[in-house]
Amino acid sequence: MKTKNLILTAILTALALVSFMIEAAIPPLTPIYGIKLGIANVFTLFALYALGTRQAAAVLFLRILLGSIFTGQLVSFIYSLTGGVLSFALMVLLKRFFPVKQVWVLSALCAVMHNVGQLGAAVLMTGTVQILYYLPVLVIAGIIAGTFTGLCAQLVLMRLKNQTY
Amino acid sequence: MKNRVWIIILSFSVLICAVCWLYISNLSPLSQIVGIYQNGNLVEKIDLNSVTERREITLSGEYGKNTVLVSNGHIMMKSAECPDKLCVKHGELKNGGTPIVCLPNRVVVKFEDSPDGADAKTGAVR
Repeated sequence: MKTKNLILTAILTALALVSFMIEAAIPPLTPIYGIKLGIANVFTLFALYALGTRQAAAVLFLRILLGSIFTGQLVSFIYSLTGGVLSFALMVLLKRFFPVKQVWVLSALCAVMHNVGQLGAAVLMTGTVQILYYLPVLVIAGIIAGTFTGLCAQLVLMRLKNQTY
Repeated sequence: MKNRVWIIILSFSVLICAVCWLYISNLSPLSQIVGIYQNGNLVEKIDLNSVTERREITLSGEYGKNTVLVSNGHIMMKSAECPDKLCVKHGELKNGGTPIVCLPNRVVVKFEDSPDGADAKTGAVR
């Protein structure tokens, strides 16, 4: 059972990394800066509900670390990590309020938190508060992208309802 | 809470943000004084109305150079050596709400809040 759990975590991390890399390689879907779907989040959410908090943390943080090394963008590592830590904290805190049928809501909230965290990091890095002007755009993007990735994870989770890991 | 309640809450948030964004991106500048900042420090302050001839200001950062082009009444990022060149795509600095930002090199070009250049939002006088 333990080995199965470990292997599943590893597979989810690999899948998250691959989807992250593919997303980084294709041109952005919108011309608006800083907006992407964040498909890798599907795997973090799935791990959180199907496996547990520790496994989800492994999937998320290993993906961020490896993804930054493989894409070679250290600037984005700091932003990814800030956003990742904040959204993951919120995800773990709020998980108990959201059953599998509402994973999409949790995902939307966490995506917004992720974007807010990244913007906060940008404010600290540049020392300019005015950058917060971008907040409304990022909140809207977070809600839309988060709902989408959340729905993806939710539909898979509902199909595998009776599965034990 | 039910899914329906969440749909309403989230749609409402989207709506509020859209309105905020429309407001912010149409703010008129409070002065014609533009400040160029790097790492949060003022590099140069320019009164756009008193610029007589076109000139370029070059800033070097961790990810290469940024070139700011200034002419009478106009300022824009002409070129950048960072990977995404978002600051160049931003075009001319037009309104008080949306500054030109280059995140990799931590460069910000924005209108100052008051004519004397004292920054009302951060309280810092430079």
